[in-house]
Amino acid sequence: MSKQIRNVGVFLMVCYAALFVQVNRLTIFEANALKDNPANNREVERDFSSPRGSIITADGTVVARSVPSNDQYKFLREYPTRDLFAHVTGYFAFELGSAGLERSYNDELAGRTIDFDLRELSDLFVDRERVGDLTLSMRNDVQQVARQELGQRQGSVVALDPRNGEILALWSFPSYDPNALATHDFNAAEAASNLLNADPEKPTLARSYQDNFFPGSTFKIVTAAAGIERGGVTPDQPDYPARQAYQPVGAGGRPVGRPIGNFGGATCGGTLFPIMEASCNSAFAQMGAEDAGADAMIDTAQAFGFNQDVPIDLPRPAGSSFPTNFENDPPKLAQSSIGQNDVQATPLQMALVAAAVANGGEIMTPHVVREVRDDQGEVVDTIPTDDVWTRAMSSGTADVLRQGMIRVVQDGTASRLDDDLPGYEVGGKTGTAQIGSSDSSHAWIIGFAGPPGEAPSVAVAVIVEGQPGVSEQTGGRVAAPIASAVMRQALEQPAAPADQESGDSNSG
Amino acid sequence: MIGAVRRNTELGLLVLGTMFVVGAYVLTTLPDNSPIPNTTGPFLAIIVGLPLVAHLAVRRLAPQADGMLLPLASLLNGLGYVFIVRIDEARAQSDGLAGLQSIWMILGVSAFIGTLIVVRDARLLERYRYTAGFVGIVLLLLPLAPVVGRTINGSRIWVSIGPVNFQPGEFAKLALAVFFAGYLWEKRELLAINRAYGPISLPDPKHLGPVLLAWGASLVVMVSERDLGSSLLFFTLFLVLIWVATERASYLAVGVALFAGGAFFAFNAFSHVQERVDIWFDPWGKDRGFQVVQAAFAMADGGVSGTGLALGSPTKIPVVESDMIFAAIGEELGLLGATAVLIAFLLMIGAGLRIAQQAARGFERLLAVGLTTLLGFQAFIIMAGVVRLLPLTGVTLPFISYGGSSLLANYVLLALLLRISNDSAQREAEYLAGRSMSEVGA
Repeated sequence: MSKQIRNVGVFLMVCYAALFVQVNRLTIFEANALKDNPANNREVERDFSSPRGSIITADGTVVARSVPSNDQYKFLREYPTRDLFAHVTGYFAFELGSAGLERSYNDELAGRTIDFDLRELSDLFVDRERVGDLTLSMRNDVQQVARQELGQRQGSVVALDPRNGEILALWSFPSYDPNALATHDFNAAEAASNLLNADPEKPTLARSYQDNFFPGSTFKIVTAAAGIERGGVTPDQPDYPARQAYQPVGAGGRPVGRPIGNFGGATCGGTLFPIMEASCNSAFAQMGAEDAGADAMIDTAQAFGFNQDVPIDLPRPAGSSFPTNFENDPPKLAQSSIGQNDVQATPLQMALVAAAVANGGEIMTPHVVREVRDDQGEVVDTIPTDDVWTRAMSSGTADVLRQGMIRVVQDGTASRLDDDLPGYEVGGKTGTAQIGSSDSSHAWIIGFAGPPGEAPSVAVAVIVEGQPGVSEQTGGRVAAPIASAVMRQALEQPAAPADQESGDSNSG
Repeated sequence: MIGAVRRNTELGLLVLGTMFVVGAYVLTTLPDNSPIPNTTGPFLAIIVGLPLVAHLAVRRLAPQADGMLLPLASLLNGLGYVFIVRIDEARAQSDGLAGLQSIWMILGVSAFIGTLIVVRDARLLERYRYTAGFVGIVLLLLPLAPVVGRTINGSRIWVSIGPVNFQPGEFAKLALAVFFAGYLWEKRELLAINRAYGPISLPDPKHLGPVLLAWGASLVVMVSERDLGSSLLFFTLFLVLIWVATERASYLAVGVALFAGGAFFAFNAFSHVQERVDIWFDPWGKDRGFQVVQAAFAMADGGVSGTGLALGSPTKIPVVESDMIFAAIGEELGLLGATAVLIAFLLMIGAGLRIAQQAARGFERLLAVGLTTLLGFQAFIIMAGVVRLLPLTGVTLPFISYGGSSLLANYVLLALLLRISNDSAQREAEYLAGRSMSEVGA
């Protein structure tokens, strides 16, 4: 009988050992697979039941916050500025997932990063929800001017500080109201989402950094950089012949393809600064195709960030592209040199081209977040401001181009860029990118501004899409006033941030 | 002598367990920055007071009894209580579970003391074995009776008398354990006779009657009350006891064969059995395995150390307060907490079987094995169901789950084990005392 009793014990021990193994499988070995199971919405629900940090602009405007809610979840995500920062904050929605900073800084906003965990020990006996607030480098005032100046026209405005990569404004029209997607009424959220997705103008798409356009003549800055660095171009030579069109030439000097004409059949030519002022197609086509050549053009475009992923702290940025297949295709190289053919750039990328010129040839890593703070207002993480993304060109080249772009504003196509900027040193370059062979074009301008004799403290890119007419004046007429107003606002001293406007949203 | 050591051990362990439970209770109720709820006083009194009262009763009524079982039971009971409070508070509409459970705990400890008082001697139970058998069968079949029988959550295992619902099956298992132990001890020699069929020796068919009866009864329970877990538990109890009593492994073989046959038959004949097994193999389809899937998600969230008390979301699991409570423990206390619960049950099994080994008389040995099997195997069945090691069957996790019948029955079970333990220790002491006296006399 003793033996049997002992065996009953052995039997039960085997049973419990099997239980132990199975508990291990569920809690450890299969845990990640179980968490990723589509039927498992525990994590999302947890996020909706906990407080979440606020997103605040550099000048103290709350653009996203959680407010206590009395329905099935404890907190509702709210976007007080509605559409103004939608493409930056994104949204935080239950069934639709999340986008924008809500997505890329999810762990910080939810208080799940190590920076917060490390403080946990001392917080054991303190009632405190650990969430992080994001302070943006972006400014509400600059963003508002961008929205106001662009108005109801499709397009984008990007403004940034070329010295440190801090983005000041990032606006595209149309935008959308993230509150409609973050509502706890899931049927309404789904309807709103369907409506936005069905809209042919794609309001949820941040055209400023998630969409590509022909850069047109603004790309001539890159071509000029290639010409100066690798093609022997200086302010004095070569002197490009005055003509109406440039005829690309193939091996043995034979003409290949169609000639590249100037807008409106104009005649232009001359040395670097005059051709920049006039935005002379024929001269820049020749510079890219003959003086710089394919390799130099490709290398320089890539040094400016083309064909690379932009390391911005927002999800899903679009890349910009410059073709790399020019073998036996001089016309393609010539067209690419004036920003047509297969050249594609985001407005953000073109703002970075201007920033490279303004910042001695270096492009700083662009970012919209300045720092992460805990709910006591203490900084737990600072986004570096001395992080170089890429060196686009030598500082000598940048110097030459800076003078050139200032000349374009003083005597050239971008003359309206300094309308709002008396007393500042302003440089710019217009662009008009014909859309296919249609009668409409994208009006572009890129530029920078700052106190005379100092490094420019703001760089911009503005694109107004689908403008009627194809003329080199379009960019200067349509886009330059917007850029001018935005830069003027950016050069104003930012208002002091309203202190801890976010504090109330975290207690819960 | 041994009694004093055991009682002091018991008290020390109780203090340790109670400290843990109080700490856990404080953690679950205080994170909300609300003021301390006014129910905290009574709750703490229950958590601290009940084990103390039980301990004092054991000091008085079974002073020589084992000192491990009561602290383990009150640790598990306290832990379960903390989780029930926590689950109750998390629900949008409180069912008042926490308050009810504290009443059940008071009644449970009362039943524990009452059993120790009434059953002054384990031999008393042997005398009433047939009565116990009759009572057991009646209790088992009571839910099938008209008027009082109730079907809740698909199982007809409830009886309603006035406002009180209870599961007579929880008490039936105790009565049947007493009956089996008494009957099998009485008939063990007859039952142990084997007949050789060529090289195989099997029990004489004449004596297979009780086995077939037990098998039939458990089938009835499974089919008519839709209570797979209890059915498995009863049959296992009987099989273990007949094997221990007769020391004939052939009964195990016959029993396992009968079980396999019965299970096969039930699987083919009854859709609810088939459904359970289907869900076991593939819980992911069509929301049908919602309980076990949610339990698995909860445990995955728990990881090694758990989300922390009151920081998980166990209320996503249906009936988490009773059948599924082990998943809540896995979620909030993690692998470590779940393992601690497993170890606590294993220690109780160890203590129970040690009591069986030390008992002097056959009936008491059998009863102790039976009671220990009931406790350990019931806990295994439900935890295995929760973690999908077995098909999920609705039985409670002893001492932890919410539920009055279960708690009362398990406290009675505990009292019976302590009674047996006390009696054998006392007899041993008397024997030793007697021997030393005779030595003195010589």
